[in-house]
Amino acid sequence: MTRVVVLGGGLAGVLAAVALTRHADEVVVLETDHYPASPRPRRGLPQSHHNHVLVTGGIRALDRLLPGVVDDLLDAGAHRRNMPGDCLIFSGEGWFHRVRTEADLIACSRPLLDEVVRRHAGIEVVQGVTATGLTGDAGKVTGVHISAEIRRPGRGHAGRLAELRTTTGTPLSDLPQIARTGSVRADLVVDATGRRSQAPGWLAALGVSPVEEVSVPSGVSYATRLYEGPGDIPAVMVHPKYTPARGGTLFPIEGGRWIVTMTGDPPLDEAGFLAYARELRDPVIADLIAKAKPVGPIRPCHDTANRRRRFEDVTLPEGFLAVGDSVVTVNPVYSHGMSVAAMTAVRIAEEGPSQRAVAEVADRSWRMAVAAPRKGGDAKVGRAMLSSPGLAAELFHGQALIPAVRDHHAVFRAMVDDPVEPLTAEQAISQFAWAR
Amino acid sequence: MALTISDAVIWQETADGVSLYHTETGAFSTLNETGSKIWMMVEQAGEREPIALSMSRAYARGNDAVSRRIVTEVNQFIGSMVENGMLLEEA
Repeated sequence: MTRVVVLGGGLAGVLAAVALTRHADEVVVLETDHYPASPRPRRGLPQSHHNHVLVTGGIRALDRLLPGVVDDLLDAGAHRRNMPGDCLIFSGEGWFHRVRTEADLIACSRPLLDEVVRRHAGIEVVQGVTATGLTGDAGKVTGVHISAEIRRPGRGHAGRLAELRTTTGTPLSDLPQIARTGSVRADLVVDATGRRSQAPGWLAALGVSPVEEVSVPSGVSYATRLYEGPGDIPAVMVHPKYTPARGGTLFPIEGGRWIVTMTGDPPLDEAGFLAYARELRDPVIADLIAKAKPVGPIRPCHDTANRRRRFEDVTLPEGFLAVGDSVVTVNPVYSHGMSVAAMTAVRIAEEGPSQRAVAEVADRSWRMAVAAPRKGGDAKVGRAMLSSPGLAAELFHGQALIPAVRDHHAVFRAMVDDPVEPLTAEQAISQFAWAR
Repeated sequence: MALTISDAVIWQETADGVSLYHTETGAFSTLNETGSKIWMMVEQAGEREPIALSMSRAYARGNDAVSRRIVTEVNQFIGSMVENGMLLEEA
């Protein structure tokens, strides 16, 4: 009987568990936190207050792993927008025309996505159990130590230990041994505990070489606020052009709400937040939220550094795999975390657990996040990108984690042809039949 | 010496001259009038020496020194286009 224990019941952990049910006899998911009764942010996932989107690479992966889940998400109120076809985007080069590409985004709250995926996957997660270390040695991980609370007496003769069940709800057959040793045996332990993962320390305690951690500051912080607002509007993005990198986004999400994010160095008071939105390169977001009713407080996010733990570069013991934010966390402006989790899970489902495969998926997002901005470039191509489907596709497909192929003829036409007159703000907004 | 235009090059005659874009290096340039003439001759004739001689006959007006200089400059131009990958040359 092969058993996988997944540590962490967030999106990456749940999707890894779904993928690994194809490779193991039983899968157990342990989550420190307790899920809320309805989709709302939880204590163990502080970033869930902030903006999360799925991009095409992640949308396709999610539907491949759990067919129909994307429809469930849209039925639950998430909004799908084409980039830039359904988005009002003011980039450093100017306003984008509404050209269509294969790049989409799905916007909803993080709690809704987590709940819809868990419900669709139909897997049971053991909540309120914390892993405290690994068992085994530098050659092989054999299980996880769990927190002592679960071994204290509770209702019934097995106490809370009876809550230890597989993803199908089957009680573990070795509860007496777990009670005696304080550890759960596993043939594979998957670390999906996120950016604050303790796994490098646990591995070191087994005698494994140190896992290199690279951190690249993003230099920006965020502030997010929800507003009541209709869903029939485009996603709105005002990008920074110069430092300080001040920008803003507005995405319609479920429940007739907008999630509005200011990036750079936004203030957290009401008047300051509105003034900051108005002082962006265009005040379109300020104009929208000035007429909308705020829901809840303005929430800051300062933890925006890009981090990469290179598990794949050390000789890992057999029976260990790290996934999700434990491996790579990029500046939230890229909105790649959930998509990387889904794409990783597809690789695991199709190829079996492989730290190298996890790294390959992670690195595409990582490279995009930490690459130095390209200096120079041809201004004509940059301008043409705003109206050329071929050039826009290259940009947005890259951002959406799907193959981005350079349209050489579009580049050549951009160089040779007279440039298209840039859109004014009014023209850009009027593309959406909505006046300022 | 047979000359061919690289498959990686997209090009077009425009009012300003021949515009070239190398799809692998990203290099873009627009040739002046003389460069454009040589480019078109490469496309039609595909041989280095006949092109140099033809340009010499057209512009040297029987002056040997000028003729030698034109041949040298045409060869330099073609050499630079071979070097930057716009043209391919096979013996």
